[in-house]
Amino acid sequence: MSEYKSGFFVGGEACNGRVLVVDDEPDIRKVVKMTLQKAGYDVLEAENGEKAIETINSGENRLMLDVMICDIRMPKVNGIEAIAYFRNNYPHVPLIVLTGFPDTDMATSFLRQGVVDYLVKPVEGEKLRSAVARAMEQRELARL
Amino acid sequence: MDSSDRTKVAILGAGRGGRALLDLLHQIPSIEIVGIADRDPAAPGLQRAQELRVPVTTDVTTLIGTQGISLIMDVTGDPEMERYLRAHQPPDTDILSGSASRLLWELVQHESKLEAELLQAEKLAGIGSFAAGIAHDINNPLQLIMGLAENLAEERNLTAVHEQARDIIEAVKRTSAICRDLTRYSRRASPHEDMSVSLNGKLDEALKIARYASSFHDIEMVKRYQPGAAVKGNPDELLHVFVNLITNAVHAMEQVGGTLTLETHVLDGQVGIRISDTGSGIAPDKIPEIFEPFFTTKAPGKGTGLGLYNVKTIVNKMHGVIAVDSQIDTGTTFTLTFPKVESAEQGCLP
Repeated sequence: MSEYKSGFFVGGEACNGRVLVVDDEPDIRKVVKMTLQKAGYDVLEAENGEKAIETINSGENRLMLDVMICDIRMPKVNGIEAIAYFRNNYPHVPLIVLTGFPDTDMATSFLRQGVVDYLVKPVEGEKLRSAVARAMEQRELARL
Repeated sequence: MDSSDRTKVAILGAGRGGRALLDLLHQIPSIEIVGIADRDPAAPGLQRAQELRVPVTTDVTTLIGTQGISLIMDVTGDPEMERYLRAHQPPDTDILSGSASRLLWELVQHESKLEAELLQAEKLAGIGSFAAGIAHDINNPLQLIMGLAENLAEERNLTAVHEQARDIIEAVKRTSAICRDLTRYSRRASPHEDMSVSLNGKLDEALKIARYASSFHDIEMVKRYQPGAAVKGNPDELLHVFVNLITNAVHAMEQVGGTLTLETHVLDGQVGIRISDTGSGIAPDKIPEIFEPFFTTKAPGKGTGLGLYNVKTIVNKMHGVIAVDSQIDTGTTFTLTFPKVESAEQGCLP
């Protein structure tokens, strides 16, 4: 599947913040990217936890990354490990879990660790965008 | 076992009863079937006997005169045969006929029904562990469908509309394939007669199912398939055997990753299958127990303890043998060996 070119969204001048989407399914990364770009977010992609850690540690992302959206079931470094790494090393970056498997215990444990939201696929665009907006607010507070 | 220690048995009658008896007795090492007789050369038990290399005859007199025979099992249901046997009973030979042999036939049937129940129960219990895998594989395409459909409601670019509609259709097909695979797997093994089953195709089908039961992330797959490898058996039961062995192999590598190797080979009238992992291995003192019913090393609620027991039951029923070779922290290899059948990729169930 190629990158979607939407007539609805043209360009990306208005940057409301930078979001990293971590999911092993390219389809999911693409559709989440499309959904968030409509709200003016700049979206980066990583295919697993290892790549996510590489991404945040590269270049300006260390400073510029605002929010991470992370799947759980992934190869290499999985979501649980990636989230633990981000909480320890980048505690100011708010995290959103987006998973295919609803697991109440896991959700509770993530929310206790300070994860902003635990979303179960399929999630509506509006819900995803409002979760990101909330995370952005948290990010702003951390900057103050 | 020394052949002189074995109980020599002759079977009279090669209908359904004779055939079932043959299958059962053939699995018992202490019994030697000296032959099976039926007046009808097309009786199903005779063909089975040829596959098992059990002597076949239409001549009852010669068969019951075999040297050293200790038991004659008459499943012809023919009162005339009963009378004939009583009149010609060789010395030191017992005869099982009439209502006693009918009772035995009923017990054999009952046992095979229980076996099927047990297999089904174990399979359904195992499907519980598929939940995470199924949820992942269904919810991902649903997320794609949701995102694209939301976009389509506002999309003005006709090319984009076409492209995204096509992607939605593909995602729906992927999702429905999951349901199809799983319903095929979870149904009761069909009672149809044994048929030639392609091993390579069955292993690939089992891989698809096993992916729901366990995470294949960080697992390298190696396949060494010899084309044309086929065995005779029930395709549903064979699928169950492979799903079980592959799932166990992947579970053994769950924490650290590793290599899963699937091999098939045909050699000297035999067909072999090897399923190897590079995982945690089985402790030497546990190896003798792994095929016992209710033996499990998994956490309570995670395993029924019937997996390998059922695997062995099915393999033996197909006149195969299963062997295990394992070393702690190095890995485990299960080797299955079956009598070869004249394969062909055709005639194999999907």
